[in-house]
Amino acid sequence: MTQDTIIRTQGATKIYNPTLPDEMVALDNVSVTIHQGQATVLKGPSGSGKTSLLSIIGCMSRPTAGKVIVKDRDVAKLPERYLTHIRRKIFGFIFQQFNLIRDISVQENVALPLYPADAGFAEIRKRVHTMLDSFGILSKRKLKVKKLSGGEQQRVAIARALINEPEIIIADEPTAHLDRELAADLLNILAGLVREGKTVIIATHDPLIFEHPFVDSTIAMRNGKIEPQPEEQ
Amino acid sequence: MIRRLKILEHALSSLLRRKYKNLAIIVVYSFTIMLLASILFLTHSLKIEAGNILLDAPELIIQKTMAGRHDLIPVEYADVIRKNWGIGKITPRYWGYYYDAFTHSNFTVLGSDTPLPILKMLEGTAPSRPGECLIGEGVAAVRQIGIGDELILINSEGLGVIFDVVGKFTASSDILTNDLIVLGEADTMDFLGFPPGKATDITVEVLNPKEVQNIAGKIKRDLPDTRPITKQEIIRTYDAVFNWRSGMMLTIFSSALVAFCILAWDKATGISGEEKNEIGILKAIGWDTSDILELKFWEGIVISLTAFLTGLLAAYVHVFYFGATILAPVIKGWSVLFPPFKLIPFVNLYQVFIIGFLTVVPYVASTIIPSWKAAITDPESVMRG
Repeated sequence: MTQDTIIRTQGATKIYNPTLPDEMVALDNVSVTIHQGQATVLKGPSGSGKTSLLSIIGCMSRPTAGKVIVKDRDVAKLPERYLTHIRRKIFGFIFQQFNLIRDISVQENVALPLYPADAGFAEIRKRVHTMLDSFGILSKRKLKVKKLSGGEQQRVAIARALINEPEIIIADEPTAHLDRELAADLLNILAGLVREGKTVIIATHDPLIFEHPFVDSTIAMRNGKIEPQPEEQ
Repeated sequence: MIRRLKILEHALSSLLRRKYKNLAIIVVYSFTIMLLASILFLTHSLKIEAGNILLDAPELIIQKTMAGRHDLIPVEYADVIRKNWGIGKITPRYWGYYYDAFTHSNFTVLGSDTPLPILKMLEGTAPSRPGECLIGEGVAAVRQIGIGDELILINSEGLGVIFDVVGKFTASSDILTNDLIVLGEADTMDFLGFPPGKATDITVEVLNPKEVQNIAGKIKRDLPDTRPITKQEIIRTYDAVFNWRSGMMLTIFSSALVAFCILAWDKATGISGEEKNEIGILKAIGWDTSDILELKFWEGIVISLTAFLTGLLAAYVHVFYFGATILAPVIKGWSVLFPPFKLIPFVNLYQVFIIGFLTVVPYVASTIIPSWKAAITDPESVMRG
């Protein structure tokens, strides 16, 4: 397993509604390192800043201060169109609520990340079918997402995250709405991705995840800061 | 190109997802376009028809007035008029209106012993003997008669008079001959009860059209109880009447426009949480701001062009196939007493372009602008709401 750094934050700070009465510091001078090909878990209670850090790492939002270095490039100040390009090429996202478009078909949901790319209709269809087949939901491809069970929706969300063959998978509370059986299925899928050499970053407060053997490192967070590891205390 | 097609495909899919909302927008939008376009189509067509009628009209018509009203004119006035220089043919005309109580229609009765310019549209023959008549399509339709049938009318003394139908107009311009009954001059004078030596008016051919106003002035000076009417004055009157009526209708239907503007404003001032979340998702999975704007552009253009074309088509059918049943009573005014007539379709492309520009562009803009605000925001913030 390689120990190359793929993402690094230096003093990343995220303040929502700065200078307003409801100003909120979500991240306070956070520096973390994510290694390529590893599964890293950001753990902590609700409101600890996990999702904010995940958003910044995944180029979904920009830090108010500090650096975010993705593959040796500081992306914190890049214009939106570059961030879009990075999201499209490097990241696959699995959201807490799946964030699927419920009224369109399974195959259209999975194909959406490919629409802005150069792929033609035939190629998209082929890739989508292959991906759905690998998750055992090819037969459901024409159904609307809202007709699927929670577990099937989760698989669609993962298929959509992987359709662009991203290097880094980001998952935000992926087991929050799953029963134990489905959660175990998901962890097996994520473990398989790590085995394939993908970098997986998960924000969670579910012990089932951060105690799972496929997890390489855990970063604990509280009140927008990194908590010292036990051996550092 | 393929990328564009894929985004268009997703736009259509998005529209279908919100089909009831979008259908409601299309209905309101199309109805607004239909009303606007109907007014403009009808007015434009009537103006063109009026212009066609006036092509063959005399440059100058002399009417006698009495107490400020049109009165029958002595035929000997023609001798006074003839003394002016630059005048060609002078023709007394015998015509009048006939209210047909059977069909509740107004017909125009015209006496003519000479070929009319409109006779080229004739089917059958012109009346050449007493008791013969030539009728317009509207008269034939409401009376359900044709060539070889008899036309029974009630004369000025309340007596029934029978005319043999020997010809029928099949005018390409229905408005020109639709309500017309052509009789011989003697039959007309007798039927309408003209006193001897009197005509309805006198037409004057002016050899140099630039001299029309001068000659009209001279005739007015020589015959103070007459009213010379020039062709240009009639054209201006038609224009003014139709412009005024269409303006009035546009004012009335401005309420529909206001409703449409409210709809557009409602769209422009915000998008639903669901739509925002969707934009956030698309951004998160790699769609660029320009991709999202293109998606919203397609959504806007599909809705607005569908509604625009539906509205235009509905207006066309309404005006040219159903005789503008909604608008005709106001736009056509008194002529609704005439037998119904079909308008020849004339569409002014400039007007169509203006309607399109004033509705499609604002609607597409009102679709794109709120989405643009969401599309330039970080996806995390958009999804967070």
